[in-house]
Amino acid sequence: MTTTTTTAADADPGTDARCGPGMSRRERIGHLLQHHGALMVLAVTVVVGALVFDSFATPQNAANIVVSSSFLAIVAIGMTFVIISGGVDLSVGSSFVLAGVLAAYGSRYGLLVALLLPLSVCGAIGLVQGLIVARTGMAPFIVTLAGLLGMRGLMLAVSDEGANTYLVQNDAFSALGQASFLGLTVPVWITLGLALLGGVLLQRTGFGQNVYAIGGSEEAAVLMGVPVTRVKVLVYLISGLLAGLAGALNAARLSSGVTILGAGMELDVIAAVVIGGTLLTGGSGGLIGTMAGVLLLGVIQSLINQIGVLTSSFQQVVSGAFLALVVVAQRILHRAQRLS
Amino acid sequence: MSRTSGLAAVALAALLTTAACAKSEDSGDTPTPAGSAGQQVVQSAGATGPTCTLQSFGGQKFDLKKDVIGFSQSEKEANPFRIAETKSIKDEAAKLGIANLRVTNAQSQFSKQISDVQQLIAQGAKLLVIAPLNSDGWEPVLKQAAEKKIPIITIDRKINAQPCTDYLTFIGSDFYEQGKRAADQMVQALGGQGEVAILLGAPGNNVTTDRTKGFKDRIQEKAPGITISFEQTGEFTREKGQQVTEQLIQSRPGTKGIYAENDEMALGAVTALKGAGKSPGQVKIVSVDGTRAAAQGIVDGWLSAVVESNPRFGPLAFSTTQKFLDGEGIPATVIISDQEYTAANAKESLGNAY
Repeated sequence: MTTTTTTAADADPGTDARCGPGMSRRERIGHLLQHHGALMVLAVTVVVGALVFDSFATPQNAANIVVSSSFLAIVAIGMTFVIISGGVDLSVGSSFVLAGVLAAYGSRYGLLVALLLPLSVCGAIGLVQGLIVARTGMAPFIVTLAGLLGMRGLMLAVSDEGANTYLVQNDAFSALGQASFLGLTVPVWITLGLALLGGVLLQRTGFGQNVYAIGGSEEAAVLMGVPVTRVKVLVYLISGLLAGLAGALNAARLSSGVTILGAGMELDVIAAVVIGGTLLTGGSGGLIGTMAGVLLLGVIQSLINQIGVLTSSFQQVVSGAFLALVVVAQRILHRAQRLS
Repeated sequence: MSRTSGLAAVALAALLTTAACAKSEDSGDTPTPAGSAGQQVVQSAGATGPTCTLQSFGGQKFDLKKDVIGFSQSEKEANPFRIAETKSIKDEAAKLGIANLRVTNAQSQFSKQISDVQQLIAQGAKLLVIAPLNSDGWEPVLKQAAEKKIPIITIDRKINAQPCTDYLTFIGSDFYEQGKRAADQMVQALGGQGEVAILLGAPGNNVTTDRTKGFKDRIQEKAPGITISFEQTGEFTREKGQQVTEQLIQSRPGTKGIYAENDEMALGAVTALKGAGKSPGQVKIVSVDGTRAAAQGIVDGWLSAVVESNPRFGPLAFSTTQKFLDGEGIPATVIISDQEYTAANAKESLGNAY
C-alpha cells in the first residue's frame, strides 16, 4: 500500500484539515507516525521476533496470537468509537464476563438465546450509560465506573458468587467460537468483518464524521448542528454491544461461562486503542491503529513467553513502556503540528 | 480506510506467518541444591481407580531432559504458596537436568493462561504442567493438546475434564480433608464450645468449596457446641482477611475462633486483632497452607494450628512423568499427604514451612 492513499483514507475529518496533497514532508511524516506508528512498531517487532526465535513465526503461534487477540479486538473497536467521541467506557470488562456467563446459561435454550440474551443485556446497559452521559453531562469515567461495578455484581449474582460455572450446551453455539475457516476461527473472521464495517462507519458516513466532530470540540459540534445526544448514546450502545458479543464468542470458545475473566480488561483495551494512535482526548484516531495496538499487546506477550528467562511481569513492563512512549510521541507530534 | 484495513489485515497475517531462521534459546539456569525438607509424599495413589499408561493415552515417548517442557503458573507470585510452587518446579528441573523448561505466569488472568499454554504448545512442548486458575473453560487448550497427544499434568487445582483422554493426571491435596483437619484443630482449641467465623477463599474454585464443606461437616459431626456465626470471603488475600476481620470484631465481639482458608487471610486477621487490642490466643485462629509466617505465628501464640497444603510439586510431577514414560500406569488422581503445624511442633518444623 502506498502511504498517500493510506494517509488520505485514514485522515480524520475532525481536526486534520491541513493534511492532504499540500502537506509539507515534515507534516506528512508526523502524521504518518501518529496514525500508523503502532502498525510500524508491530511490523518491526514481528520481524525481529521471527529472526530471533524459531518457534515464534510458526503458523500455529500466529494463529494462537490472532485468535486470542480477536476478543480484545472486538471490544477495542467499540472503545475506539467511544474514545474518539471524547469519552471512555470502563464497563467493557464487566460486560465481557457478564455476557459470557449469560451466553453459557442461555445456550441451553438454543443458539438464538445464547446470542440474544448477552447482547440485549449488554446493549441495554450501554444504552443507559450513553443516555446518562449524553443527557446529564456527567463524566463518562464515573458513569461507566458505576457500570463496571454494577455489571460485575450482576455477574456474581447470576453465577452464585462466581462459584457456578455454566457449561455451553449447544453445539451450534460452540461452533461459533471454535470452528475454523481457512485456518482461522470464526471469531477472527467476525473481528475482521467488524473492523471493516467499523472503518466504513467511522470514515465514510455522517455518523462517523459526527463522532470525530464531537471528540474534537463538543461546543463547535453543537454549533454545527451535530445531534450530539444521539451520537453519544450510539457510541456507548455500540461499545456495550461489541463487549457483549466478544464475551459471548469467548464463552463459545471456552465452552463455559467462566466467571473470573475480564477484571482489568478495560485497561488493556484502552491501552491498545491509545497505542494505536487514538488520542485519549478525542477527535482523532482510527481502527487500523487499534487493530495494530491489540496485536502488538498479543505479540509482546508471546515474545516474553518465548524469551522464557523473563518472568511475565515483564510483559506489563514492556506494554507499559510502549504506552508511555506512544503518549509522549503523540504529545510531541501534536505540538509540532500545531506550531508548523 | 475500508480498503486499507482489509489490506493491512492480510499484510499482518502474512507477516505473522513468515517463517524465518533463528537460534534457539537455552535457559541457563544453574542447578541449585533442593533440600529434601518438606518434600511431598504421596498419600493415596488411587490404587482402586483405573490407571493410564503411555499406550492407553496414545502418546509418543519423549526425552524429559532434552525436549521442551512447559509449566503454566496461574496466579501472580505474590503469595508464598505460588512462589514455592514455581521454585519447586524450576529447582527440580535444574536438578534433573531438564534443559528446556519454559515457565509462564498468567498473572491471575484466565484469558492469558489459555494463550500462555497455547503458546507453550506452539513452542513444541512435549509435556504440560499446569496450575489451573479455573477448573472450567479449558476447551481450546485440551483440543490442541489432544491433537498432538501432549500429556497434561494439572497441579494443585483440577481441570473439569476426562483423565487419560483430556489430561494425564491431577496431583494435589485433598482439600475436603484439609477442611476436616482444620475443624479438628478448631474443636481442640476451643474445647468444643463457642462461636466461630470463617474467612472464605476466592469464589469459583474447588479449593474454597471443599475447604468450607470439610470444615462444616466435621464441626457438625464432632462438636455441636460450636456455631458458625459468620462467613465472608477474604479472597485468599491478606488485606481482605484483615478488613473482614475488622468488621467481624465490630459486629460479633463474642467470636471465639476464626477459621481462615489460607495463611494470608489468617495473617490479615492477626493484624486486625492486634489493632483491636486483643492479646495472642484470645481468639483462636486455625488456617490452611503452612507458610513460614504462619508457622512463626504459632510460635508467637497468635495462631493455634496450621494444616499444611504442600506446594512443592516439582519432584512428584517429574517423577510421575518419568514413570509414565517408562510404561507404568498413572492413576487419575495423585493425592499428597499434608503435614500439620501446632504449638507442639511449630518451632522445630519452621524449616519445613515455606
